[in-house]
Amino acid sequence: MSHTLLLVDKDRDYLQAMSAYIERLLFDVYLAATTSETTHMVDFHTPDYIVADPDLPDADGIHFLLKIKSQFPQTLLIILSDEDRLDDIMRRMQLNAFSYVRKPVNSKELELTLLRAKEWHKQKEKINRYADRLGALHKATSLYHQLFDEVPCYISVQNKQYRITATNNLFKKHFGDAIGEYCYKAYKHRSSPCPECPVFKTFQDGKYHTTEEVVTSKDGRQYNVITWTAPIKDDETKITQVIEMSANITQIRQLQNHLESLGMMIGSMSHGVKGMLTALDGGIYQLESGIRRKNEARINKAFTVVQEMSERIKKMVLEILYYAKSREVNAEKISIKKFADNIIETVQPIADKKDVKFIANIPDNLNEFEVDLHWFQAALVNILENSIDACEGDDCQSEYTVKFSVSENKNNMIAFHIEDNGMGMDQETQDKMFTLFFSSKGSKGTGLGLFISNHVVTEHGGRIDVQSELGKGTTFTVFVPRMQVVPKKEKGFYLLNVNT
Amino acid sequence: MSKKILVIDDDPNIIDYLTTLFEDNGYEVNSASDAQKGLELVKANPPDLITLDLEMPGDWGPRFYRKMTQIDALKNIPVIVISGLTSNQYAIQKAVATISKPFDKDQLIKIVKDTLME
Repeated sequence: MSHTLLLVDKDRDYLQAMSAYIERLLFDVYLAATTSETTHMVDFHTPDYIVADPDLPDADGIHFLLKIKSQFPQTLLIILSDEDRLDDIMRRMQLNAFSYVRKPVNSKELELTLLRAKEWHKQKEKINRYADRLGALHKATSLYHQLFDEVPCYISVQNKQYRITATNNLFKKHFGDAIGEYCYKAYKHRSSPCPECPVFKTFQDGKYHTTEEVVTSKDGRQYNVITWTAPIKDDETKITQVIEMSANITQIRQLQNHLESLGMMIGSMSHGVKGMLTALDGGIYQLESGIRRKNEARINKAFTVVQEMSERIKKMVLEILYYAKSREVNAEKISIKKFADNIIETVQPIADKKDVKFIANIPDNLNEFEVDLHWFQAALVNILENSIDACEGDDCQSEYTVKFSVSENKNNMIAFHIEDNGMGMDQETQDKMFTLFFSSKGSKGTGLGLFISNHVVTEHGGRIDVQSELGKGTTFTVFVPRMQVVPKKEKGFYLLNVNT
Repeated sequence: MSKKILVIDDDPNIIDYLTTLFEDNGYEVNSASDAQKGLELVKANPPDLITLDLEMPGDWGPRFYRKMTQIDALKNIPVIVISGLTSNQYAIQKAVATISKPFDKDQLIKIVKDTLME
């Protein structure tokens, strides 16, 4: 640290004497006896200290020194003066001078003053350094705050008692402010710490831990998250808090589940598909050999088989496409009577061919509703076909009927009733009927139909109720709201209905 | 006298196909839609060849085969497995041939002819 000192006094001998003394105190000393010399010295050497007697020959010394001070505010001024002028000087300079020393100068007093000035200077430099560091710290803090708040992860900081001391914006948005709450309550709505808590582990061993969890937002939604915990230490040793960061991987898991179930679906369907293709081969062989042998009976029968198999394969391909894509309801208004009549037109010939009596009862006054015309019709037709098949596969009754009717329910719901007196279903079949694991075999189909029918109905905000008794028959009731609410949910993927 | 083939498959369309195919080629064809009926037919009227589906309700293909081969008179009847199951090459070791659905009819006929020539 430099200690440049400028000594100013009109008496040059005095200057010499003082300079020798001051140099012993380890200052680099420069001398000036006039304001012009002083100006020159100040410009050249920018002294840290100026020890001066304002009584100068060529100008108003006080005014001059005040000007120097204003130009170089860092320079410390020490004023030496005779007793009688001192009052006036002090009055005019006030705090612009660091200290005032009476002439004749008490050498000890001067020495101590200079040392104090040095010390002051040192402290000032320290403060400047601290101010710089504070500035940098402030920048870092503000950057940290930005990161903390803008990072698209849930971040919370917990203390040893599991209480949350800080949360970022995303956390607040999904789990509430939560400061002071127990983390297991805010994240999981629990009343005690989670088993295998990663925060606890980090408190124990000071290491990073990562787990996968299912958390519950403040409005009850469940998210899959990957969680990392890291220790926060004070002064490099003790762990005072743990920071917990969670990334929302719900969509990834959904996609993963969807792909897995897609794979499983294709695997479970492959047997049915192969059966259908073999039957189609059979039809084509019989068609070709029938033409060759000019066997008209064979040709006709073969053609029916080919038609039927093509129809089934087409249906299956559409079902796979529907399942593979995430699909929104494409709702259109239609008169309920007209919609039902379309279905009757499609189903009547199928029932006739299988010797099943199809009874439809559609009132005229039900007005309109909003549904996805293709898929909602496909859903109902699918259920009706199943009912017809249930009759075909049974032989206990003398006459088989499938009844189809529509009514309006409370809450503005439209209900479609499909009742058959066919073979009925046992409890296990009823439980599994809407899942992908329930599959019919061979060329009859793939079992995807009912799963998709159920999905279409629930996508409309409706549901399917099933009543069935083995050996007696089955009744399906399909509920759908009259009007569609504008969809607000995020694009999800279909999952296997394994449990319900 | 024409050779007798027994077709065992739970899908009526496939039974129809195989029956027509084999009859067109001069064979006498019987059919059964499950293992139990199949076993009854084999015992009552032993065929010269059996085509067997693997996935059926009740006893599945391999179980039918096990039951059949326990009977001395029947255990040497050649069996061709015709199945949609993908790992079908492991199902019945002693089958004369194992073919997947959908199959090449010309290849099937050739296997049948070769088997019944012996």
